[in-house]
Amino acid sequence: MIEIDRTKCAYCGACVGVCPAMALRLRDIYVEVYNDKCTSCGACVRACPMNAIELKK
Amino acid sequence: MVVGAGPAGSSAAKHAAEGGASVLLVDRKKEFGVPVRCGEGVGSHWLKELGISISDRSVCARIKGAKLVSPDLKSSVTISTPETMGYVLDRKVFDRELAIDAARAGAETALKTEVVGVTKNNGKVTGAILEYDGKKTEVKSKILIAADGGESLVARMAGINTLATLYDSDFGVEYEMANVECEGLIEIYFGKSWAPRGYAWVFPKGEDVANVGVGIGGMEKPNAIHYLNKFLELDRFKKAQPVALKAGIIPVGAPCRQLVADGLMVVGTSAHQVDPIHGGGICLAIDAGNIAGKVAAKCVGEGKSDAKALSEYEKTWRSAREKKLLRRLLLRKVLEELNDDDYNAAIGCLNDADVGKLLDGNYAPVAGKVLTARPQLLRALKALLTSSETGRTL
Repeated sequence: MIEIDRTKCAYCGACVGVCPAMALRLRDIYVEVYNDKCTSCGACVRACPMNAIELKK
Repeated sequence: MVVGAGPAGSSAAKHAAEGGASVLLVDRKKEFGVPVRCGEGVGSHWLKELGISISDRSVCARIKGAKLVSPDLKSSVTISTPETMGYVLDRKVFDRELAIDAARAGAETALKTEVVGVTKNNGKVTGAILEYDGKKTEVKSKILIAADGGESLVARMAGINTLATLYDSDFGVEYEMANVECEGLIEIYFGKSWAPRGYAWVFPKGEDVANVGVGIGGMEKPNAIHYLNKFLELDRFKKAQPVALKAGIIPVGAPCRQLVADGLMVVGTSAHQVDPIHGGGICLAIDAGNIAGKVAAKCVGEGKSDAKALSEYEKTWRSAREKKLLRRLLLRKVLEELNDDDYNAAIGCLNDADVGKLLDGNYAPVAGKVLTARPQLLRALKALLTSSETGRTL
């Protein structure tokens, strides 16, 4: 499960760009998460410039 | 239909409209050009080469040159030219002006409009499902141009792989800050401790305001913000105060293998049309958008939208730009292998006059000097010399 800390997120979309499962989408002022698509690969966690993403079980 | 009103999308929309196509330019944001996710620097040589003009209003600062700083901070060299070497832009104003140009050329624009799906018929892209004003609507298109940036989903939904891998991406974060003393030069800091596989930067935006940021390679840990916070501990930023935060992904690998499909074109950062050395993409995006827009108008006029007809964009763009970008990608790979001692030695042994010689194309004496100081740099120097333009663009 992808969990985004909104107090850290800069809405930059880096996580969206690297997600091979298209489980994230950048909207106007937030990032939408589709956890049913997430494969827990962790690319978004690594990519996030703000260190705002965690994978949770 | 053009998705994404950044430099690539607005340029494509403008040229498609000028060519007689009826154009809809959509963007998810409530304000074109906001939020900014960019260092905002452009080099004069790119503007000249691509024939792009910029308005005075969108220029924050004119840059005289670049100062390269060694990892141990003990030495630096300055590359400067008598004429303006580049600009730091206000992307908010710059992007807005490009969108206004597109609208004046006849494009319709739509804000707060998200593409949530792509419609296809027999493998050909026939339109998009747009979400706006609380409802989803299917809108038909003869040609869909995906210009939705590093977080691109439109091309991927339509079947062109624009996924950015961690290895081939840089991740950047910067603060726009007040109370930063600047000399009218962009400053580039090398070294693993500042920005592994990337660099830290100070881009002056006029008076005491500057973009201060870092970009790191995608496989690196910890995340970019860690390196930025560390960079800001330097004494020179003691009084600096942030007024804006910007972050983003920069696909710095090779441009995407496929740029067109039936009914679809991909342009700009979403197509990975980015300089692999400094991660700049503004000028390349505009150039690609211009080409794509013209081809789209021509194809619509002729009633064509198949991949073969649209491939005129891909061919024109690749033959004009790709070779140079791939050469710079090779150079990047070489630079990535340098360690902090290499940078310390190379920057430490050079003075500004040496850089002047380099700019005049007089490489031999400088190469000799660097090699005497650090023989291990032979391979890197060879790569530098074979990649033309490097002296000017670093």
